[in-house]
Amino acid sequence: MAEHRPVAEHRQPPIESGAPASSTGSTPPTPATGRRPVFLPNELDPTVFDEAFLRQLERLLLLMKAPVRGGLKGGRRSTKRGQSVEFADYRDYALGDDLRQLDWNILARLERLFIKLYIEEEDVTVHLLLDASASMAAGRPAKLLFAKRAAAALGYIALASEDRVVVSALAGRTSRRMPGLRGSGRVFRLLANLSAIEATPGPTDLLTATRHALAGLTGRGIVILCSDLFDPAADRVIRDLAATGAEIIVLHVLAPDELEPDLSGDLRLVDAETGNGVDVTIDLPVLDGYRQRLAAWRDGLAAVAARRRVSYVPLASDLPIAELVFAELRRRRILG
Amino acid sequence: MGLLAPLALLGLLFVPAILAMYLLRLRRKETIVASTLLWQGLVADVEANAPWQRLRRSLLLLVQLLLAVLLVFLAARPVVERPAGLARDLVLVVDVSASMAATDVRPNRLAAAKEAAIAALAELPAGGTVSVIAAGRTARIVANATTDLGRVRAAIAGLEPAPVRGDLGDALRLAAALAARSGDAEILVATDAAGPVPDVRLDVPVRVLPVGRGRDNQAIAALAVRSTPSGVGRSLFVSVVNTDLEAAERRLVVSAEGIPIEARDVFLDPQTRTEIVVDDLPEGIGSVEVALLGRDGDAGRPADDLALDDRAWAVVPPVRLRRILLVSEGDPYLETALSYLPGTELYGIRPADYGPATHPELFDLVIFESTLPATLPSRPILAIAPPRSSPLGEVVGTLSEPGIGRLDPGEPLLRYVDLSTVHIAEAKRLVLPDWARVVVPGPEGAPLLYAGSRLGLPTAVLAFEPRRSDLPLQVAFPILVANLAGELMGGGEPPSEPLSPGDPVELTIPEGATGLRIERPDGSVHELVPGTPEARTVTYAATELLGVYTVRPIAAGSSAASPTPTTGPSPTPTAGGSPGTGGSSPSPVPADPTAPGRFAVDLLDVGESTIAPGSPASLEALGRRTGGAGTAPDRPPARDEIWPWLALLALLGLLVEWIVYERDGLARLRRSVASRLERVTAGPAVRGGAAADRSGTSGGGHR
Repeated sequence: MAEHRPVAEHRQPPIESGAPASSTGSTPPTPATGRRPVFLPNELDPTVFDEAFLRQLERLLLLMKAPVRGGLKGGRRSTKRGQSVEFADYRDYALGDDLRQLDWNILARLERLFIKLYIEEEDVTVHLLLDASASMAAGRPAKLLFAKRAAAALGYIALASEDRVVVSALAGRTSRRMPGLRGSGRVFRLLANLSAIEATPGPTDLLTATRHALAGLTGRGIVILCSDLFDPAADRVIRDLAATGAEIIVLHVLAPDELEPDLSGDLRLVDAETGNGVDVTIDLPVLDGYRQRLAAWRDGLAAVAARRRVSYVPLASDLPIAELVFAELRRRRILG
Repeated sequence: MGLLAPLALLGLLFVPAILAMYLLRLRRKETIVASTLLWQGLVADVEANAPWQRLRRSLLLLVQLLLAVLLVFLAARPVVERPAGLARDLVLVVDVSASMAATDVRPNRLAAAKEAAIAALAELPAGGTVSVIAAGRTARIVANATTDLGRVRAAIAGLEPAPVRGDLGDALRLAAALAARSGDAEILVATDAAGPVPDVRLDVPVRVLPVGRGRDNQAIAALAVRSTPSGVGRSLFVSVVNTDLEAAERRLVVSAEGIPIEARDVFLDPQTRTEIVVDDLPEGIGSVEVALLGRDGDAGRPADDLALDDRAWAVVPPVRLRRILLVSEGDPYLETALSYLPGTELYGIRPADYGPATHPELFDLVIFESTLPATLPSRPILAIAPPRSSPLGEVVGTLSEPGIGRLDPGEPLLRYVDLSTVHIAEAKRLVLPDWARVVVPGPEGAPLLYAGSRLGLPTAVLAFEPRRSDLPLQVAFPILVANLAGELMGGGEPPSEPLSPGDPVELTIPEGATGLRIERPDGSVHELVPGTPEARTVTYAATELLGVYTVRPIAAGSSAASPTPTTGPSPTPTAGGSPGTGGSSPSPVPADPTAPGRFAVDLLDVGESTIAPGSPASLEALGRRTGGAGTAPDRPPARDEIWPWLALLALLGLLVEWIVYERDGLARLRRSVASRLERVTAGPAVRGGAAADRSGTSGGGHR
């Protein structure tokens, strides 16, 4: 069983060297008001990450449903017993055990040798898969912007939890993988990386691109896919993600005008990726049909995700990030 | 079914035009969406059920096509044809006489006749012409051979009942003359057929649209104000007729200048005439109004079916001072008797002074006693013991102590006169002229008193001087003198006969006036100015209203001076019965430019008051018999245009088209209203879950 830890107090100092001095200690790396231009790196897109947004990024930690086995020592409970301050269990002493772990008090009372076992804390890799297809640029507000902000929020939470964060942009038939980041001091790097992601024109094969990203997946961890899933093979994408055995979170982002289209009359709807057009006369029955299809589509995806223990989160791109992380993801027990 | 304007069917070209516009609409507006994934499925659905779905999608097109076809059809003026019930040229005679104002059918007979006439126009064949004649006092054409039925209807609707005696014969003759212009004509008469059947024969078929069913009417049939023979008092004579078949009780109210002066309940036997005399009318009144009210005297509610003849007006001639000229050597008896006559002024002159300068034309009566001038004045004359033969009578000798013959008891001059004890010493023997009647016969056929109208002038001749008899000593003398004066001076003004409505009246413009102002019974005022300044009379014909018309002269800027009598030997007024002659001349009858005159317009027509509807068959018998079915073989059919229904359908189609076009908006409106209502009715209890609902909505509603 996972153990819920209070998050607010769980601020860890940056481990990696070279981190900005301002990000040490319990002080978040958020620059002070009025000095943001000094602290914001040039490569950071101010339209994506503004100060108010950065201020929200410090509180939460990604919850994992089960302990994972990671690599480096981190802030996340591991299945391994190891070095930490949190007591886990006792076991009989065996030859070769570290005498430092011997429980001297037990020995004194019972004259038996017991080794204290501590919960090992390790890091995990949080893979942020961002759909950078052309369709993500559509909608108002743009889904890609929402996806980047959500990824930044989640990525920051992961960095603050001493997890490793890997960002991959899915476009075309491939994924562009950014270098992994670790430590909350790298948050600006993360933001810069996210800023650099732009929607790629032309068609995107989400399944192939996802597979390409998953091929580079190392170890078990958390995989967060942020996409509008406008792909005929969206369910297979979810299946393939689930097949990795990692903790999968699918953030299904749709723009409000895709949820409730404000269209009417005789239109030729042109696909933003393929350029294919569809002639349709939009009136109320057609809109009702669209809504039904949309609901059925999302229900289908949710069902596929539920069968494979994938967290499927349908979202609207006008949802404030604060509400996403503080309410929506908490409610779904993705964040704690 | 036919089309009056088939060329309008060219408008069907709009149908392909509308279709073309729909084809053009296929150039759709391009809109970029993130993905057509969901839309594709939707369109596939539409295409899968292509026929029905397409029909549904094209509902607007269908409605518009239908509307276009409907409007084109409407413009083509479709008609339903049926055999015409009337001839091609119709002459419509509408009776507008007084009896058509009867209210036995509501609102009145004329309204019913107009309604029937307008309804009958539906039977007119296509292209048929209609002439409309209003049969009032005279026939009047209000629409002449027009095919414009709207104008005909307006002309019929504009007819008003006139309080006049209708002349249906005149109208029928005019109608026949109009109908004679056509080969296929018919006369349609909308009338109550009350009154006598006109004596005309027409070579045109006549059909009658009968109106009216009641006969309950009592009417004032005659009204006159008469002076008593002596001219002393005035009486009102009213004749009331009951044309109903049942007896009636009515109240007769006489008003003078608006003030009731007499009210009598009269019982009227069916189909009889009752005379009522109201004596001793008050002095100084200008006119009287007689109203025949219901038994309870309620003036507001009509007591019979025709209210028009329940009122009548009479003008009371003004009491005018009359002048008598006595040409005599002096007769105290006669002068005394004459001086006691009311409303008279007695002037005396000696025969020697009598001449043209006396101006006998200024007098209402000239009395010659024992004298006769060479030239008789053109005035009423009483000659007493004429000395010689003259146009007044031939004197053939003298009678000595003539006895009085047998007197006629009905002789008005001898009313209240008792001559049984009169003795005459001497009288002239006269030969009765042919213009006179014997009033007091004498011996051997020689009249002692005769009277008559000589050259239109009342004239009387008394064969003896009163002083040569004992007549002046008896009561009969002043009565006889009064009766003679009354008879010779016309018993006062001749009764002014009431005019019939519509009759023209010639009015004299008094000296010093430039025109006349006529106040009509309804209070309106007409001003009449003669065509030429020297004209002294004007003719006024707008007398269609019943009642009293008051005529006032329009005074000129400066009132003209009254003409003064010429100089010369003049008669003198005799004072208070004292005998004597000589003196100043009377001034002529004063012409007061501001004195109002009056005349009354009354219906007073028993024929129109008899409102019992007559027999339509007898009127139809006046015309030519129609053979067979009455439809000429070449008569076009009657047409009923059905455009109102089509227009209604088109409007309905327009409404449907709008609803179809706006159905999305309407559905959205309905949904928003429904959701608002739901929110209102749900109340604050549900409002707690709104936040969660919102986050669910933003998240897509799938948890």
